[in-house]
Amino acid sequence: MQDYINLFVKSIFVDNMVFAFFLGMCSFLAVSKSVKTATGLGIAVVFVLAVTLPINYLLNRYILAPGALVWLNPEYATLDLSFLSFIVFIAVIAAFVQIVEMVVEKYSPTLYSSLGIFLPLIAVNCAVLGGSLFMQERGYANVGEAFTFGLGSGFGWMLAIVTMAAIREKLSYSNVPKPLKGLGISFIITGLMGIAFMSFMGIKL
Amino acid sequence: MNKDIYRKPIFTANPITVLVLGICSALAVTVQLKGACVMALSVTLVTGFSSMIVSMLRNTIPNRIRIIVQLLIVALFVILIDQFLKAYAYDVSKQLSVYIGLIITNCIIMGRIEAFALGNKPIPSLIDGLANGFGYGMILVFIAFIRELLGSGTLFGYQIIPQSWYVANGGFYENNGLMILPPMALILVGCIIWIQRSVQKDLQEK
Amino acid sequence: MNTNSNLYTIVYSTILVVVVAGVLAFVSMALKPKQQENIALEKMQNILNAAALGEDAAQLKSNKAAYIKGLYAEHITNSYILNIEGKVIDGEAFDVDLKAQYNIMKAIGNAKDDATAQALKSKLQLPVFVCTIDSMDLNIFPCYGAGLWGPIWGYLSVEDDFATLHGAIFDHKSETPGLGAEIAKPKFYSQFAGKKLEKEGKFHSIDIVKGGGQVENSNGVDAVSGATITSRSLQETMAAWFAEYMPYINLKREAVEAENSPCCCGSDTTGVCTNSCQAETSHATSSPIK
Repeated sequence: MQDYINLFVKSIFVDNMVFAFFLGMCSFLAVSKSVKTATGLGIAVVFVLAVTLPINYLLNRYILAPGALVWLNPEYATLDLSFLSFIVFIAVIAAFVQIVEMVVEKYSPTLYSSLGIFLPLIAVNCAVLGGSLFMQERGYANVGEAFTFGLGSGFGWMLAIVTMAAIREKLSYSNVPKPLKGLGISFIITGLMGIAFMSFMGIKL
Repeated sequence: MNKDIYRKPIFTANPITVLVLGICSALAVTVQLKGACVMALSVTLVTGFSSMIVSMLRNTIPNRIRIIVQLLIVALFVILIDQFLKAYAYDVSKQLSVYIGLIITNCIIMGRIEAFALGNKPIPSLIDGLANGFGYGMILVFIAFIRELLGSGTLFGYQIIPQSWYVANGGFYENNGLMILPPMALILVGCIIWIQRSVQKDLQEK
Repeated sequence: MNTNSNLYTIVYSTILVVVVAGVLAFVSMALKPKQQENIALEKMQNILNAAALGEDAAQLKSNKAAYIKGLYAEHITNSYILNIEGKVIDGEAFDVDLKAQYNIMKAIGNAKDDATAQALKSKLQLPVFVCTIDSMDLNIFPCYGAGLWGPIWGYLSVEDDFATLHGAIFDHKSETPGLGAEIAKPKFYSQFAGKKLEKEGKFHSIDIVKGGGQVENSNGVDAVSGATITSRSLQETMAAWFAEYMPYINLKREAVEAENSPCCCGSDTTGVCTNSCQAETSHATSSPIK
């Protein structure tokens, strides 16, 4: 249990998707203008990451990794399909996002109007594909760890975009040099927040 | 031919500093110039060729599965590049790790395919893709140049700042450790935008 | 033609997937040998570097691969896999997956009771490489662990007194460039040459301490400044692996002592002697490298 809590906290604060790896920056900068929309997108990312990571973990474990097909036939021990992993991961993510969008649209129009518009954005959010690729590279031990990592990274991303949106809401009242307004100052603030988040690195987990 | 196709993405509509596309996957590779150059080249090739292929197929792609088909074509080129790097530039491929795979979700590529390649002929699409990749790569290489020079005192791994300057050898100079940390890349992009928008006043936001 | 009909969509996507998969499978098959060679070469170079060999390979413009392979064939005279008791078991040391061993070690640490821990321990495979330079046999021990951002690994070569380090090499997947990544630079790892494995008669891993490396501190090595976590992880990794290698090192030490005394291999007066003899004979038959 302790392992999972460690991994969860670590993926929110220490290995933060935005501040440590620059993942999901496009939508991070584009959708962080108001706290309300930022929260909506954040929740959608948490949801998609937490579901696609375990799926991709199982695909990687039982189909893609070198020698993963042994369960079908011991002769396949030398087979290595890992070159297909990019395509499989992105296909799972895109398909899942599409399905969720259709389901939400059909059964809960209110949820769709608040969350649905963000879903297509997520298929090309690097944080989601990045989560799957990091999961593959770091070799998590089981589905539980993959799920915890997905959930944690999602919350880390949400935390980043919501705080950023809060700062930008306040920022509209400040006197920023004209050429820096908007995009420029957002980059610099993200950098400063990244430096602040680096202080979590020293935590021994 | 219209010069705007390749002039615009490099200056007035630069993917990074003006359109804010494709920052995701790439800033982390700007610590060293070598990685940044390979990344810039990879993105340029992928953007160019996937734009061209999509443009060739543009009248046959069923509209409902358009996004998936585009992703598939982009992923094909990214995997090809990844495989070639692993075989012929193993060091660089190790350094770039997951960020090569993340080119797939680089918003410039999908952005150019949707905005340009779907409505234009293959050759202009190729040029548009290459130019956008180049405009993007230019910023990457520039940031990497500053970060590697000030952060490690080297360029492409070769020592540029003379050893005798360093405090350890009795000099006055010390590498700026902050430069190699991830957040510095963001702050540098902020500064580049600042400079660019001071010159091109029409880009300023209200 | 109606590009929106279901049949067209299905046929179109099928053809596209088959074409893409075909191209990828072909390229992947064609490049596979080259990629695997790169990985094997890197490992060979790591092993050689630990014995302070082949460091000039980086300057070679051409035939780097052939040079490293030649050096490896010339110097790495033997390699074998050890179990937890320090005895040689069957297998090809070069093919042992260090990461898998690291995962077993981690599982041992988390084991709930002694029985599971013992069962896991018996699964451990510890590779050792013997490198001969000018008739001196160096034993090269790999280690693998977690750094700050990703895995770190290294190879340490121990001289034939089984007490002094001859050299070391470390590498990492994704430590911070300029900070944690400095463990892979000669400035850091060259400090390990000549350090003792033990301190005050007790097994003591190499201390990575700030301001270490003084003459009186025969275990200390100067840590990478600004990379406390990477340095600490590296120290823990080495300590964990050497704890597993200790039975073997002790056996070897006793064998060295026995060689200097009348009792020698061949006589089975002591169990220790026989053990080391078994080790000698069994690894003599195994082929050194592929």
